[in-house]
Amino acid sequence: MQFTMYHHAFVVIAVIVVAFIGAKKFKLNTELTLLTASVAALLAHLVTPMGVDARSALPFTEIIRHFVEGTFTYFDVCMTFLSATFFMTLYKEAGGIDYLVRVIVGKFYKKRTVLLLMLMIIMMIPGAVTGSGATTVLTVGGLVGAVLATMGVKEDRRVALVFMLAAMSAACPPINLWAMMAAAGANMPYTGFGTPLLLLTGIGALFSTFYLTRGCKCDSEIEDVVKTLPEAPKGWNLLKALVPFIVLLVAILGARVLPAYWPIIGMPMIFGFSALAVVLVSPKKVNLMEIGLTTVSNLKELVGIMVMVGILNQILTLTGARGLISLGVVILPIWLLFAALWIILPVSEGVLQYAVAPLFGVPLIMLFNMLGYNPVIALSCWAVMWPVGDCLPPTAVVGKASVMQMNYKGDYYKGFLKNVLVPALVVLALCTIVMIFNKPIGSFLGV
Amino acid sequence: MKKMNINTVKVIALCVIAFCMAVAGFLFAEHRNFKETVVVSEGCTEVKKLSDYSTAIKPGSINDCNVYIYDSGVEGGTFLIIGGSHPEEPTGPMVAQLIAENLKVKQGRVFIITHANTSASTITRIGEAYPRFFNVETKWGTKSWRMGQRHAAELDSWPDPEVYIHYPSGQNLANVDIRNLNRNWPGKEDGLISERTAFAIMEMIRNEGIDYTLDYHEAELEYSVENTLVAHDKGFDVASMVSMTLTAETFDVPIGMEFSPAALRGLSHRDIGDHSDAASFLVEVAEPMLDRIRGITDEKLLMEGKDIFVIKAGEHGLLYAPMDENGWPIEKRVARHVATTAKLIEMYTMMHPDQAVVVEGLPAYEDLLVDIGCYYHNPYAADPSRVYYD
Repeated sequence: MQFTMYHHAFVVIAVIVVAFIGAKKFKLNTELTLLTASVAALLAHLVTPMGVDARSALPFTEIIRHFVEGTFTYFDVCMTFLSATFFMTLYKEAGGIDYLVRVIVGKFYKKRTVLLLMLMIIMMIPGAVTGSGATTVLTVGGLVGAVLATMGVKEDRRVALVFMLAAMSAACPPINLWAMMAAAGANMPYTGFGTPLLLLTGIGALFSTFYLTRGCKCDSEIEDVVKTLPEAPKGWNLLKALVPFIVLLVAILGARVLPAYWPIIGMPMIFGFSALAVVLVSPKKVNLMEIGLTTVSNLKELVGIMVMVGILNQILTLTGARGLISLGVVILPIWLLFAALWIILPVSEGVLQYAVAPLFGVPLIMLFNMLGYNPVIALSCWAVMWPVGDCLPPTAVVGKASVMQMNYKGDYYKGFLKNVLVPALVVLALCTIVMIFNKPIGSFLGV
Repeated sequence: MKKMNINTVKVIALCVIAFCMAVAGFLFAEHRNFKETVVVSEGCTEVKKLSDYSTAIKPGSINDCNVYIYDSGVEGGTFLIIGGSHPEEPTGPMVAQLIAENLKVKQGRVFIITHANTSASTITRIGEAYPRFFNVETKWGTKSWRMGQRHAAELDSWPDPEVYIHYPSGQNLANVDIRNLNRNWPGKEDGLISERTAFAIMEMIRNEGIDYTLDYHEAELEYSVENTLVAHDKGFDVASMVSMTLTAETFDVPIGMEFSPAALRGLSHRDIGDHSDAASFLVEVAEPMLDRIRGITDEKLLMEGKDIFVIKAGEHGLLYAPMDENGWPIEKRVARHVATTAKLIEMYTMMHPDQAVVVEGLPAYEDLLVDIGCYYHNPYAADPSRVYYD
């Protein structure tokens, strides 16, 4: 039998799977598991015949270069994680969250539907403007979780709801990074996505909110509930509590409203300014160094995973394994593709994070274009399905961030994921239906 | 004891990381500082810098590229060649350099930019596992080019905005596209590096009275704008003639002709034409290494353009260009762009005699299919006054 590049890429993928299983057996953490898989894949690439023709030499120094280059894939995302978490940890330590929770509960506790809708909107905003579900969790997840706790929502459901809203917020317009990256790869302008994304994420967020809070009643006396909440340091008022978020919103929206005049400072710097605002308005002295160290310590797993996923993605591309996976998806019969994308997309997101957008998104857009489907509607559907997979291993970045931020002690799979299952399936089913009827829906929405 | 062991592991890990960073750092620096040589032909009358045309680009900065000028001294039209808009598409700088090394202008003027976005050529695209360099064998040795990416390097333009809002249209694009030169036309004087570069080139086009421009690109075979000449409204007639004659007389795979869409902003074929008197054209040729479904990523794929995964996609009807075991070798891609350039000059001159440009020295399509190396000259043996660095 002639050994072709198909065999080569298949061997590399098989070795990655074996490395994952082996690393888990030795109880390595996710970061080391991903690193082990990357090293194993590279070794398999080097020792396995690469096909009929000889390939270009791959010197040892170039191998190192590929590893180091891969670590930078999600550099911006990691910087945003770190700066957003620093900002919110600072706000929390200063007592801002305690104050806001008391205000929200005091004013809206008895108006359950209004309160839930308000919490949902609060959750949707950070992800909508940054495109990152983890940022949502790390900025307002703790606050919303605390209010949900006062409403009697069980811990498993609370974490599940925070995750689902974070996933929907990441997919919510105006910024959907998956749609943007895939559209950029296919040379499509990022226009026309607003309405379909808003509809899909809005329905997903509403269903998740009311499904996961079903049965809980706000029937205690407000005073009794407020008494159970931690005291906020004296000196906070509503204006002071809102100033850091006003700074955040002004910095983000300014770039949208006045793009020709507004300086581009990036999300890390924007969160830096918000953190500075916390320091300025906080009535309580906070230890910046300690909070900085806590932030890095808390996030080292998430950042580590993103760094290692970047390496794995680079090695998959180098070895042809990425191409084989991508090819395997786009040559599926179209009926099977419609039937399978709701599984393929979230699962691949769990493995590769944002890298799935160019990996699957670009060939799929081109395929859908060729078949005469509406690529804007189809890509909107995929761009909502992808973040649902952010709770899946091996990376589970947003799922882990939710668990960490809510200090969840239950079982990740039997507690948290079990509760995510129904709303996640509803969102995936909705997206699949819209994707199937992409043409009439596209015509109806005028995109 | 256990603690000591953990510390030992940490020290070893730190040493390994430091070693990897040092090695990779050296390679990144080598890539960034590598200079490509251009031995300009005797027809080159002047070499300017982009900063000569606009203060948007600082003299000596990374995107202060060379502008090679070929002035016949005979009144006629003025033509601008733009190479290296997307340095991950290697034929751009290769073809622009090949023309710069062989061109003689008999009437009118020709301007050549070989690396329009030099910054983007100093780093490869993260996650794509590209080789750092690609090479062509010549009689005098190996000629090397930097492999780059679509976007200016983060070292020169960071951070990106959350969403890139194109100036002046206000169209939303992916945030990284603020570093993509071919999403930034007509540019912004006080913007980021790609916006400023586009603005400076626009200033050159306006101030030099350039009549038409051609921007070299390559595209994945899955992409619909493939093996085609995209033309601004001002150049439809010329582009149609170029497409028809090349398809009928020269190319085995036809070259199409497309109208520049008015709704898609920032592209050279649209916004150069809209913001100057020039007619703008952009030419695409197939490059399998840009396909996401490609197999092993290496220099061999880049230069030979052969890939069985892409062939398989073709069997499933997923490609816009034919793909077989012969692939799309670099000779063929370069030859198509050179032939398109020659035909564009010929047709433009025929249809706009008052803006005539007459050139010699461009190799024939058939000759380039055999060997491209022989058209690049030895910088070590050349008159040093004719050797430039990009």
